[in-house]
Amino acid sequence: MGKMVAVHSYKGGTGKTLISTNLAVTLAKHGKKVCLLDLDFRAPSLSTLLKIDKAEYWLNDYLNGVCEIDKALIDLSDRIANQGKFFVGLANPSVEAIRDMSSKDRKWEMRALGRLLSLRNSLLNAKGFDYVIFDTSPGLQYSSINAIVSADIVIVATTLDNSDVEGTRRMLRDLYDLFEKKTEIVLNKVLYDDALRSGRDKLQAMVKDTYEVPLLGVIPCFCDVSRAEGKIIFVHDKPEHPFTRILAEVAAKMDKL
Amino acid sequence: MADKEVLGKKPLQILEKIRENLERLNEKMEVMIELQKHGRRDVQPIPSEAPLDVMTLLSMPDHLRKTAMTVCRLGRATADEVAQQTRRARAVESAYLNQLVIMGYLKKERQGRKAYFYIEKEGQG
Repeated sequence: MGKMVAVHSYKGGTGKTLISTNLAVTLAKHGKKVCLLDLDFRAPSLSTLLKIDKAEYWLNDYLNGVCEIDKALIDLSDRIANQGKFFVGLANPSVEAIRDMSSKDRKWEMRALGRLLSLRNSLLNAKGFDYVIFDTSPGLQYSSINAIVSADIVIVATTLDNSDVEGTRRMLRDLYDLFEKKTEIVLNKVLYDDALRSGRDKLQAMVKDTYEVPLLGVIPCFCDVSRAEGKIIFVHDKPEHPFTRILAEVAAKMDKL
Repeated sequence: MADKEVLGKKPLQILEKIRENLERLNEKMEVMIELQKHGRRDVQPIPSEAPLDVMTLLSMPDHLRKTAMTVCRLGRATADEVAQQTRRARAVESAYLNQLVIMGYLKKERQGRKAYFYIEKEGQG
């Protein structure tokens, strides 16, 4: 039985899309059948990152009840040249669609939750996906909480920025705990020495003390990642880079959860 | 022969009816017990039907959230099926489910001896 994973954060810019995309591709490169879904309807980014301007159906259409999920999925397996499978479902990046998604009422959100929950049947059970990974909006957005409720595992991307730490801590206590979710932390943009050398144990202890949830991985602040300007899928284009190795470790650890 | 069969079935049907009524009575008593336990504040009925969205789930008392989330996941379920997931007693789940019905979040439908609980989605979903 496959798993549904939500990648979430308190603040924006913590690396949710970077982590979710590279995690999805890493898993697919290791032979898994993976589906990556962009649930950040307020600021869609996967369509740009994956260079897909047009889609016959978007995830917006699936949640609106216009189509079934298979119509909204795009098969990008050939891009990763491997035995694994990589599918994506994109959020419509047009301003009109963003405006439409921001004005939904509670009844619509309730139905959207039902449709996300039903992906367990349609994708994991019927289509044999090993992973469905949700890339979400930061903070307490409806679409993000829907994703969290639907997921088996929540990965929280966070940095050492003070307001991010405080906000993440509150969110863990007031949101994830209430839904009894298996939650793991990925620390991103950590100074290289702290992440990989002397500070590793200290970080582990800090995460345990502050968040009271396990640390899934530590990603140092790589200038190469910033330099790529979100134009490439890092683990695919730079297989020898330390970032790729770290993502492989995170993926392997997550696979055992 | 035919008369004997009719005569033989009738007491069974009556017993079945009594059992159904007892079960319904039992459910009502379970709700009343739960109402006393948690106080009426938690189970105020909401005017018109209320959508069971995530913000509503967040604002619910813990014991009801667990039950409501399980119905969200299962789609349509009996108290037995919910109890299997939450690992709480069937009678407890039955009471919580009926509370959620009173509050307007769930609908209840009887099929024979079984009562199914589900979220009203107005023909969509």
